[in-house]
Amino acid sequence: MSETFNEPFPLAYGTYEDAVKLLNKPGEKVVSEFSVNWEMIKIYCSMVEDGNPSYWDEEYANKQWGGIVAPSGLLLTWPMSLQWHPQKERKHYFIAMTIPLPGDTIINVATNTEFHRHLYLGDRVSVVDELIDVSEEKKTRLGVGHFLTTKAQFFNQRDQLIAVQTNSLFRYYVPEEES
Amino acid sequence: MSREITFKYWNEISEGDAVTTITMDVPFERVILDAAATQDYFPGHHNPAYARHQGQKEIYLNTMAIEGFIDRVATDWAGPHTFIRKRQMQMRSSIYAGDMLQGEGKVEKCYENDGQYLVDVTINISTESGLCVPAELTLELPAAKTS
Repeated sequence: MSETFNEPFPLAYGTYEDAVKLLNKPGEKVVSEFSVNWEMIKIYCSMVEDGNPSYWDEEYANKQWGGIVAPSGLLLTWPMSLQWHPQKERKHYFIAMTIPLPGDTIINVATNTEFHRHLYLGDRVSVVDELIDVSEEKKTRLGVGHFLTTKAQFFNQRDQLIAVQTNSLFRYYVPEEES
Repeated sequence: MSREITFKYWNEISEGDAVTTITMDVPFERVILDAAATQDYFPGHHNPAYARHQGQKEIYLNTMAIEGFIDRVATDWAGPHTFIRKRQMQMRSSIYAGDMLQGEGKVEKCYENDGQYLVDVTINISTESGLCVPAELTLELPAAKTS
C-alpha cells in the first residue's frame, strides 16, 4: 500500500559544496512573535505533566524566582513562526532548514544547551543562529545525508543572554530501495 | 490530583544517589499536544505517512517534549528550586505514539564552582524498545536548608 502526504516539508536544496559556503555566517536576528506567556507555559507543562510550582504557582514563583518562569524546554518555541500571518511570509528561523543540501527530510540527533538566566512572563525572545559544521555524506540506519551542527544564542528584550544551544541534526533521504 | 513536592539541598546529595524514576505514557493525543504546545508542526510529529517516509514507524515526540520530560525527572527529584544550568542529550532513537516513557538517573558529581552549588546527573530516557535518549544535566541548587 503506498502512502502519501500532502506536500514535502519545505527545505532548501543544493550540494554539500553549497552548504559549506554558509559555514560560520550568522543569520539575521529573529524576534519572536509571541511574548513569554503563562497560557503556553501551562499547555506545555500539561503535555509533560510537570507540576513544578515555578510554572503554576505565583506565590511560590514570586518568592523563589521573582515571578513565574518559563520551562527551559520551551526555549525553541518562543521564536517559532506562525503557520500563517497576514503580512509576513512563513519562514524557518532554524538556519539548519535553510541550508542547501540534497536530502528531503531531517531528524534531530543531539542538543546541548547552557542556560544563563530564566525567561519571565512578558519577555520577548530573540535568537541568532549559525551553521558551525556540516559533515561529508554519511550513511546511517535511517538513510543517506549530512550532519549539520548549528549554534544559537537566545536573548531577552534587554539583550541579556538567556541560553546558548548547539544542535546537530541529520539531513537525509531514504534510498529508493529502502523507501 | 496534587503531587507531593520535594526539596533537596546540595549538602544532602551524594555521588551515586539515584534520581527518582518517572514513567509517562505517550498516546497519539500527547504527540499531537506536543506539536501544538511547542508550535512545532514538522510533519514527522503529526503526519503518520510523512513519518514513515522518513523511515520512522510512527509519529514521534519532538526534542522539546523530551527536554521537558528530562527536566521534569530532574526537578521532580531535586525540587522546584533547581536551576538547570546545562542539558546535553542525544536522540539515539525516536519515541513513538504508543510508547511508554521511563526516565531514571543517577548523581555523578557534586561540586562548587564560582559560588554555585552544582550537581551533575545522568538521566536516561527509555521505552519498551530500550534506551532512546541519554542525557547529562548540571543542576544548581541551594547549598543548604535555611531556617
